[in-house]
Amino acid sequence: MLAGSTLITLLVGVMLILAVRNKGGRASERHWIWGWGLGFTLSVLTVLVGFSLWLGERMLARADDALEVSAHAAQWEWQFTQPGPGGVPVVTRNTLFVPAGASFDVVITSADVIHSFWVPQLGGKMDAVPGHANRHRLRADAPGIYEGLCAEFCGFGHNFMRFTVVAYDPALPMPDMSEAMAAFADNQAGILP
Amino acid sequence: MSWLWRALVGPVLWGVLFSVVYGLHGAGCNLGWTRVPVLFTDWHHMAMWLAWGVGLALHVVVLRVVPRGIPPGRSRWLIVAGAWIGLVSSLFTLFPVIATSTCL
Amino acid sequence: MTFTPPADPRAIAPSEPMVDSLDIAANPPRRALRLHRELDDVWRDEPGWKGFFTSVNHGTIGLRFMVTAFVFFAIGGVLAMLIRAQLATRQGAFLDLDLYNQIFTMHGTIMMFLFAIPMLEGLALWLLPKILGARDMAFPRLSALGYWCYFFGGSVIVLSLVFGVAPDDGWFMYTPLSDRTHSPGVNADVWLLGVTFVEISAMAAAVEITVTILRCRAGGMPLTKMPLMGWYLLGTAVMMLVGFPPLILGSILLEVQRAFDWPFFEVARGGDPLLWAHLFWLFGHPEVYIIFLPAAGALSTIIPILSRTTILGYGAIVAAVAGLVFLSFGLWVHHMFTVGIPHMALAFFSAASALVAVPTAIQIFAWIGTMWMGQVQFRLPMLYIMGFFATFVMGGLTGVMLAMVPFNWQAHDTHFVVAHLHYVLIGGFVFPMLAAVSYWMPLICGRWRVRGLGEAAFWLILIGFHGTFFLMHLTGLLGMPRRIAVYPDNPEWEWLNLISSIFGMITAAGFALFAFDVAMQWLFGRRSWRNPWRAPTLDWAMPLPAPSYNFASLPGPRHGDANALLPLARGEGLLPGAPRGWRETLVVEPGSGRPDHVAVLAHSTSLPLLTSAAIGSFFAAMLSGFYWLAPVGILLTIWAAWKWGDIMGTDRDHPPARVAPDLDLPLHFQRRNTLARTGTLALLLADGTLYASLMFGVGFLTVVAPNWPAPVSGIATLQNVIAALVALAAMALGLVASFRAETARTTPIGGTWALVGLGSGGLALAALAVLAYGLDDPTRHARDALRGVVLGFAVFHGVVASLLALRSLADHRQGRVSATRVGASPIWQLFQMFWLGTSAVSLVLIVAQEVLS
Repeated sequence: MLAGSTLITLLVGVMLILAVRNKGGRASERHWIWGWGLGFTLSVLTVLVGFSLWLGERMLARADDALEVSAHAAQWEWQFTQPGPGGVPVVTRNTLFVPAGASFDVVITSADVIHSFWVPQLGGKMDAVPGHANRHRLRADAPGIYEGLCAEFCGFGHNFMRFTVVAYDPALPMPDMSEAMAAFADNQAGILP
Repeated sequence: MSWLWRALVGPVLWGVLFSVVYGLHGAGCNLGWTRVPVLFTDWHHMAMWLAWGVGLALHVVVLRVVPRGIPPGRSRWLIVAGAWIGLVSSLFTLFPVIATSTCL
Repeated sequence: MTFTPPADPRAIAPSEPMVDSLDIAANPPRRALRLHRELDDVWRDEPGWKGFFTSVNHGTIGLRFMVTAFVFFAIGGVLAMLIRAQLATRQGAFLDLDLYNQIFTMHGTIMMFLFAIPMLEGLALWLLPKILGARDMAFPRLSALGYWCYFFGGSVIVLSLVFGVAPDDGWFMYTPLSDRTHSPGVNADVWLLGVTFVEISAMAAAVEITVTILRCRAGGMPLTKMPLMGWYLLGTAVMMLVGFPPLILGSILLEVQRAFDWPFFEVARGGDPLLWAHLFWLFGHPEVYIIFLPAAGALSTIIPILSRTTILGYGAIVAAVAGLVFLSFGLWVHHMFTVGIPHMALAFFSAASALVAVPTAIQIFAWIGTMWMGQVQFRLPMLYIMGFFATFVMGGLTGVMLAMVPFNWQAHDTHFVVAHLHYVLIGGFVFPMLAAVSYWMPLICGRWRVRGLGEAAFWLILIGFHGTFFLMHLTGLLGMPRRIAVYPDNPEWEWLNLISSIFGMITAAGFALFAFDVAMQWLFGRRSWRNPWRAPTLDWAMPLPAPSYNFASLPGPRHGDANALLPLARGEGLLPGAPRGWRETLVVEPGSGRPDHVAVLAHSTSLPLLTSAAIGSFFAAMLSGFYWLAPVGILLTIWAAWKWGDIMGTDRDHPPARVAPDLDLPLHFQRRNTLARTGTLALLLADGTLYASLMFGVGFLTVVAPNWPAPVSGIATLQNVIAALVALAAMALGLVASFRAETARTTPIGGTWALVGLGSGGLALAALAVLAYGLDDPTRHARDALRGVVLGFAVFHGVVASLLALRSLADHRQGRVSATRVGASPIWQLFQMFWLGTSAVSLVLIVAQEVLS
């Protein structure tokens, strides 16, 4: 798409230079308006829209047996619920643990204002809207640590409303979640601000 | 100035059709129409297909009827152009009713 | 003294006459200077400060709009520089978070609402009568009212920054962040009330631009041959009429929620924050095209003239404008691709967002084809046009990319979007406006520019702009979100931001140099000769600088283009001079341009200033939280509005005005289909859109919002049913009365009918008051709150309709009606019909809600 845009920009640029240098002459509506303006543009757009809808369809969260985790946003932190050791759901603060190599759905909710869940390296973003639960499908191909952030302006602490996604190798033992769990528990107890 | 109103019939029809189909889509997803089977599909799809089909048929009628009785010239040209704008817009912007999944 | 050089062989002959073959004889020539004095006595502003406060002349008001808009642009620009200074390094310690939030919110708000929209209004107000061949806009007092509302509202918004209480929720004010719980301060109220106050000027401008284009053209100029600028601004104005009401409704609802706790957007009580997002973007996307169309109009005007040819594909461009006007209302959800809307709905809007590129592309290729056809002259406006091409094409392409759902999910709310929107707005609006200003400056100040400065400003702006924003696309793709002040953990964004910041300063220097250039031209430029660009359009068929009355005699079939400069100045055109000592202009039939009557326009008056102060007192009471004082503001506004009507009628029949030797036309007092009536229809289009947006809100919350169905309602009482039926019956009786008051106006019965209308209006309002008493508590649930708003809508229109009935009654009592003079009743009929129609729909809706639940 970037390459296509660059090509079209260059094309229009060349046309403009030729038009400016051309010292008068006949120009036909048929050529400029119907040919380039309507025909060229509409064909490119039809292909592009078709392709993007096809791609969009493939990215949707469908009713299958993908792993489900939840992300609950509040000013200005994230609470994640995910399977812990032994498959028991555990709640963590600002760190999400998911197995690498498999699709998972994040169910995104908000306690107060609109936030947005975004892990740039894993895919698109999805808003956390009060009163609505949005399902968002992602996949981490390789184990690793991925940075995430709140992408929708949510007030004073927006700047620092970051989180981490830990994608672990499902074949290995689960990573240690206790620190993130403790962060959640401490926060609940009011020890942390 | 009646030619101006005639030229707007096509685009206005697009506006109405777009709103109706978008409204049907929103209502259907929230009221559970996808769970009501009709013929080979569900009531949600059926409602949107019907609206789109009727709308496109109306667009064709507009294309045929609206320029009638206007002498050739720029006014008539604009009337025909308006009818085409409406038809192409309805075709292009609403074709997802047959192409994508509904409520996901 | 100005002089006219010998005929230029490169002058452009219009490919077809701008006016039709309909013939009207020429008036006998007169002494141009005497004619000038006669007209200038009537049309010029009063001297000194008094003139500043009382001017209603479109030339003065239009320029004042543009200058004020540029001042706000400079303020918004300084804020942009603060943002860039903060972001230049990752640990920017320049601003604290709270101030940073205020600054980026204000930057967006100022640039959108206090610069772009007023700038295009100013250009339209100043230019339209000149390019269409009229002496003023259709409603001069409305121009001035709009200006003062803009001036006061804009000043309050900017001053809030000085006092540290500026809006800080982002320029699109998403709820719940902007509600009372999460933004307890006055900051959000400043935005909601200030912007709504400023929007009055947008609605005023939209109404009068529409009416001026439809009815104040040169005699014999049919719509199909008017300059393209007319089509573009007609499209803009209609879009404003339909596009602004959703925002106005949303702002009213949110302010009512903040002030009185009615839960339209609060989830727990049946509201939904997504309703705000829909209403905002339902305005916000058309807004982009509202800004782009006038700029494209300037391009379609200037490009052929500086290419010494005529535009390629007039008809195709008109069709493209019509397509843009409609399609741009089907795009708004592409700002909401990530809020969790199902894929099919996204697909509708994605396809529409792609399709809207087609009419845009048609215009781009028509312009390139025009340049191909002609010989391009590289004068300064042409440089800015090249800047437009170099910028806008890329902005359009990134726009198509953002319309694609999967890409949008990645790029939404990042600096990629920031880069895109600046490419579109600076490319598609600022560059063309710079071209327009440098093109029309000789007409504004009568002087030619100083050599060299303009080119230097152009290159600084062009290089600065691309240096700032081109790499910002990459910053966004690397994951930098919008609206953050520091990024300590992301060193990879730092060099990109630093480059953007450095070039940002260069852009600012370029704009400053541009302003300096304009000031130099105004003060020290050499006198320009007439029609310096050798343009065919009527705006150049007048001496430089443009006189207060534009045309000593108005263009018509024999004087349809700029070649008619001298005959028009000698009074050979239509309606020469000011023989009655009034400001008069020709009104035509909308389609064909056939002369219909002569409108007598308002002289200088301080009434617009007083009216905007009255409206402002209401907003001030709301803003300061003295809600009990707000009704005083409403009463003051009603009083001021009443005064407007005082000078609209006349108590005697006037002889027809001599427009040409073979053409006598009545004054507007003796016509039914006046400018005011067309204006009322335009206003009711906007009003109807407001109502439709409200109905959309009801439907949306009913279907989509959580926490529905609402609790059981207690409104189905006999008392309420009777009150509702009485109200509707009284409105219907009022409608009958409004027609009878007109048909029986020559007899005393007419006055009686006006009295009946007033009485039935009062009765209907009383019945509505009973209904208000019988409503459920509006703070309980969004459904009940919406019913309160629906009722408030009916009450508001009841007050307006009853005031018009009172005006009709006064017309009858004061002898302001006769066999030929109809007074205010045609306007009253329209409002009465609207009141009855919307109230009936509201009643059906509420009954349906009760029956179905």
